[in-house]
Amino acid sequence: MANELRFLVVDDFSTMRRIVRNLLKECGYSEADEAEDGVAALNKLRNSNFDFVVSDINMPNMNGFQLLAEIKKDEKLKHLPVLMVTAEARKEDIVMAAQQGAAGYIVKPFTKATLEDKVTLILTKMGLK
Amino acid sequence: MNTTPIISPAGATTISTPDVHRMIGALTRQLHDSLNGLGLTEKVNAWADEIPDAKSRLSYIARLTGEAAEKVLNRVDLAKAQDDYIAAETRRIGALIVKDPVAAVAKGHVMNFLSDVERSTKEIDGHLTEIMMAQDFHDLTGQVIAKVVNLAAAIEEELVRLLVLTAPAHLPAEATPAATADKAAPHGPSLSGPVVNPEGNPDVVKGQSEVDDLLASLGF
Repeated sequence: MANELRFLVVDDFSTMRRIVRNLLKECGYSEADEAEDGVAALNKLRNSNFDFVVSDINMPNMNGFQLLAEIKKDEKLKHLPVLMVTAEARKEDIVMAAQQGAAGYIVKPFTKATLEDKVTLILTKMGLK
Repeated sequence: MNTTPIISPAGATTISTPDVHRMIGALTRQLHDSLNGLGLTEKVNAWADEIPDAKSRLSYIARLTGEAAEKVLNRVDLAKAQDDYIAAETRRIGALIVKDPVAAVAKGHVMNFLSDVERSTKEIDGHLTEIMMAQDFHDLTGQVIAKVVNLAAAIEEELVRLLVLTAPAHLPAEATPAATADKAAPHGPSLSGPVVNPEGNPDVVKGQSEVDDLLASLGF
């Protein structure tokens, strides 16, 4: 079942999008698309079906917090788990992300094991794994 | 006092050293008055605080890129050693099979070789993953570079404004503040980005375990 899940990776750096997609693939999640900022992500989320969002925070046009808020106030999208993967290491940012409904928070730089653990934990909590 | 005359490059005008000192003094006074008049004194003070921070950020970039390069080269060395091993073993087993195929299988050489290949390829895959992960420096340093560029752009913008406002009237204003204004803050709302000096800063986490602890303490 896990292999059929569709991920959306949101980050303004193409290198990081590629790294996260490759890591997800190594973890068995080969269905992944990508977006370069919150605006592009929201367009894709509203026009296609996804099961999981992995998002950076510091992005142009629409940052990760704004994207998270848009997802959580959209009836059709609010069920989606959003895992923040970011260099923002301020405690207030982490608390804010949790309060806004983020499913998890990873600080960069991170390891493959951390990403795999968080994704598995979130999917398990949601009964998807 | 030294009154050695100074000859201009064109050789047309001779200026004495006291005159130069007076001119520098006048320019300094004009600059000081202009900075005050334009309300830039506070900004200059802020820049004085930010420039050491920019130096730390540039050091952070140098450290991160250096570590990434080191990590990649180390992993390439390990992967190449594994690759060399597989190549040598393939030649050795090939020779054994050509010499006596039945014995090569019966004595377990072929099965041992297959096990070795499987183990080595798994290890090489691990090295490749680490090489891929090492590229995350691009994202982290990119964010830090953007902050330093923003600082430089802000300083440039104000200096150009100062130059335009204090330049003699007959000189054309080639550069205007508007020309540089659009360079600032490309990333929208203010976020702190990568933490360059986390030590001794209680407001930031120093790693994933602290993130997990913080979220757990909040019941997440």
